[in-house]
Amino acid sequence: MPDWQEMIRPKLAPLGLDAKREEEIIAELAAHLEDFHEDLVRQGKSQSEAAELAFSAAADWDALRREIQAAANEEVIMNYRLGPAGKRRLKTFWLPGACTGALSGILLRLLQMPSAPSPHIFWPTPGMPFVFYWHWLLCLPLVGGIGAYWSRHAGGKLRARALAASSPALAWLCFPGIFLPFVLVFQWIVHHNALLVPAALFLLGWVILPEAALLLGALPFFRGHTAESRPVAATH
Amino acid sequence: MEDERINIGTQVKRGSAELAILSVLADGPLHGYQIAKSIERQTQGLLRFNLASLYPLLYRMEQRGWVKGTWEGAPGGRRRRYYRLAPAGRRRLVPLREEWAQLFQALNRLAGVTHA
Repeated sequence: MPDWQEMIRPKLAPLGLDAKREEEIIAELAAHLEDFHEDLVRQGKSQSEAAELAFSAAADWDALRREIQAAANEEVIMNYRLGPAGKRRLKTFWLPGACTGALSGILLRLLQMPSAPSPHIFWPTPGMPFVFYWHWLLCLPLVGGIGAYWSRHAGGKLRARALAASSPALAWLCFPGIFLPFVLVFQWIVHHNALLVPAALFLLGWVILPEAALLLGALPFFRGHTAESRPVAATH
Repeated sequence: MEDERINIGTQVKRGSAELAILSVLADGPLHGYQIAKSIERQTQGLLRFNLASLYPLLYRMEQRGWVKGTWEGAPGGRRRRYYRLAPAGRRRLVPLREEWAQLFQALNRLAGVTHA
């Protein structure tokens, strides 16, 4: 019986895959040739004739190597970009989340136009106004509802629906909120003034209240299953 | 135009090969050589797979989550990599069968081509 693995290895090398995967592929192809060889012997071919015929089964080893490499590259690209879980996240969180983020941004921009109703302006500390867009807050339940509905329609579970609906508030928390502690510390060190009241108002006006409004709108869509999130009955 | 022809040809070949593999695996797990033999037997030798046509496709299908390969003991104390139809592959098989049935119907209407 020929040592198929030893015959295949130089023909395929270098595959450029990790060593374990490469050995698995060689072992699998060797097993195929071994079975083919045995079939040919059973059909009456001599050992050497069967070995020669079996080994010529690949016909073009260079093409086989390229095809395996292409399949492996597709594997790397798919793993790197989007696996099944990534695609699910894209559909149930990122796309509806981007939609709610964009909608809330557009609404805010519209409400900042001169013809829009005036926002409430507070002066928690002298020289530092805080603008409170209460019209924007009133619109946010609709935005949150759209995000949660989209996520549910795409098969999103409760967490994905809530996150998709909350993305505008999360964006405010993540981006300006990240720098807030540093600003507070800097203010304390330089001016001996922690600006705690403006910071609290910022969190209240741009994170906590919007989050509450978004989730309020999303609430009706937290119930109910979709085709993908519903448990699937076994089929035979 | 030439590229387009090549692309269509490649897609048709790959699509039919995927359908063949998914169809034989719908009956139960098989290793690579058994897949090739099963397709050859069921199509009365019309469709044949060799190393170069079978394994790269199996690896692609495995990456897409349509099939799952696992090393298992085979008769004679050997180890073989058995492929099973994954839920995604089972879901893919249904529209794939319909697409090919429609293609054959369309060809039949167009040129009187019939299929078995």
